[in-house]
Amino acid sequence: MGSGFSGITTRFSAMVAIFVVVLLGIGVLGLSWGTPSLSLGSLWNVLFGHSHSVESVVVLQSRMPRYVLGALCGSLLALAGVLLQDSMRNAIAGPEILGVSAGSATVMAAIIILQIPVASILQPWLALLGGVMGGGTVVLANRNNQSPVRLVLIGVAVSSFLNALIVVIVSMGQESTITLFYSYLMGGLENRYWTQVVLVLPWLIVIPVALSLARKLNILRLGDEVAKGLGMKVIWIRVLILIVSIALVAPVIAACGPIGYISLLSPHVARKLLGTQDAIRVLPMSALVGAVLLTGADIVARQLFSPVEIPVGVWTTLLGGPLLLILLNRRLGSAG
Amino acid sequence: MLHTYKHNKVDRRFLITIGIFIVLLVLLFVLHVGLGTVWISPKDVISALFNRPAAEYQRWIVWNLRLPRSLIAMYAGAMLGLAGSIMQALTRNPLAEPSLTGVTSGSILGIVCWLGSFPLAAKYEEIIPFAALAGGMLTVVMMYLVTRRMRDNPFVLILKGIIMSAVLSSIASLILLQNQEQLPTVMLWMIGSLNAKVWQDWFTIWPWAVVSLPLGIACYRAANVLQLGEEVPIGLGFRLQRTRILLFVVSALLTAGAVSVAGAISFIGLIGPHIARRLVGQDSVRVFPTSVLVGGCLLLFADMLAQSVTIGIGGKGSGLPVGALTAMLGAPFFLYLLRRSRR
Repeated sequence: MGSGFSGITTRFSAMVAIFVVVLLGIGVLGLSWGTPSLSLGSLWNVLFGHSHSVESVVVLQSRMPRYVLGALCGSLLALAGVLLQDSMRNAIAGPEILGVSAGSATVMAAIIILQIPVASILQPWLALLGGVMGGGTVVLANRNNQSPVRLVLIGVAVSSFLNALIVVIVSMGQESTITLFYSYLMGGLENRYWTQVVLVLPWLIVIPVALSLARKLNILRLGDEVAKGLGMKVIWIRVLILIVSIALVAPVIAACGPIGYISLLSPHVARKLLGTQDAIRVLPMSALVGAVLLTGADIVARQLFSPVEIPVGVWTTLLGGPLLLILLNRRLGSAG
Repeated sequence: MLHTYKHNKVDRRFLITIGIFIVLLVLLFVLHVGLGTVWISPKDVISALFNRPAAEYQRWIVWNLRLPRSLIAMYAGAMLGLAGSIMQALTRNPLAEPSLTGVTSGSILGIVCWLGSFPLAAKYEEIIPFAALAGGMLTVVMMYLVTRRMRDNPFVLILKGIIMSAVLSSIASLILLQNQEQLPTVMLWMIGSLNAKVWQDWFTIWPWAVVSLPLGIACYRAANVLQLGEEVPIGLGFRLQRTRILLFVVSALLTAGAVSVAGAISFIGLIGPHIARRLVGQDSVRVFPTSVLVGGCLLLFADMLAQSVTIGIGGKGSGLPVGALTAMLGAPFFLYLLRRSRR
């Protein structure tokens, strides 16, 4: 037993180290690639020297905030995924599937397109409210239901209603720019600067809260009966976890829009890599995985068809959809 | 004796339903033609249609602006309604419909690939439905493989269809975002819109309607056999998989025709057949024609709502796409079906 435990710990440390290195590597690529393209040496100069060239402006004011925002949002989304999947004991739960993302995105679309005067610092709070309403509708419609697939379908129904509402809101705007549809239905990281990073920063306080829920998640995973037997107030804990996970997602949507599949997939990747379900390790690991996935997808979004930029949500769907299909065939089989 | 009597009674009910829906369809059609920035009363619409207009401008508006849109709405709705009811029969799944099984997105992807393949493609509008059909068929094949020959549990099958649909749409977006000139048009396709439809679009859709609607209705016998489950049809000597594939092809045909003109309008194929079954029972010989009529009525009605909203908000931009409205009406209905089908 003792050796098995330390084996998992070693694996955890190794994986964390690898992913930190990968994340930094993506950072170097993300900061140097593009127009103008920088060599490693000149990147070093820009970062640690005192140059005031065009390059330094591009790197520090455009690429850097984008990379930081991608890493932060990826981790937030991934943490929300672990919380939702473990607390609902549903392998295919995620904020994009439970109506949370669509609820927040609808509120954001309404604020921006209908030009409702709201201070930008308040926007994540309103996104939170939208997420709570979206997620709450799904959870209420789902009561007395044990089937994980039905839960997801209910989420899809609510999300597609809200997405249609977004289309209506966008159509009501002054100019029906097509790119607006994309930014509220797909999400992306283009044209994001330090303003958006600052918007997200205060919400990082939710991360330690999420990590502290690990033990409760481990108990919930054993089933409601066991959890109740151990003296847990299952329903309240679950509501608490739902609200925490929406609080993780809301700032992401306020800043970047509903980027799909990161929160759904990262926990699975993390569990697979660690070979354990233990939330104490899965939570930090999947935060790293989420950051790597989102920043990596963003580099692809930027570079593959440069100078045309594809919204990062398109890539995460392309990556996530097929993996989700495989997951469905493995986990659920014919059982609904 | 009793059996004959009962049969007659059901048939009479079917005929009355059909009659009511034909009247409703005509009524909605006339109202739909009349609705627009300039309201034309039903009486004036009818006189304009019979070439005895009260005012010359009315004839011009009715014939040049309104009529193609109304005709397309009616036929596209009818085709989607029938496609949905065939899919529900063949998968024995009350939640099946073209957009929830990925076929609609596949058709859109086919169109996007075709339009993106070479610059003159947009000129040959009559080719577009074929591209849509190719995409739809490819989706059918993929769904067939992914869902273990359609044997998945109903919920799992639909979930896989939705994921498939998301993936296909993002491939379409990927292609779209590289040729930005066609972006606005194709984006409206992806939501589903009847705005700015002209006679050219009607000429694209009607041959498909003429072929696929009768063909679809003629499939009622095969659909009824599939309703019996796995063992009975095999016992009766039916080639089950072949029948299933045939029906799937027909529904892809109907979807392709509708989608290539009206775009990815969702949920008509879900709601239409359910209303039809509620009214005329389970037998496909009655459900199929009823779904055609109900589907036509639904899309006419939804498009009237969409136009009213557009007029209500001052008609800015390109107007509200009707696909958004069908989704807003359809999603709660889908939710209701999900809750009802609890076991």
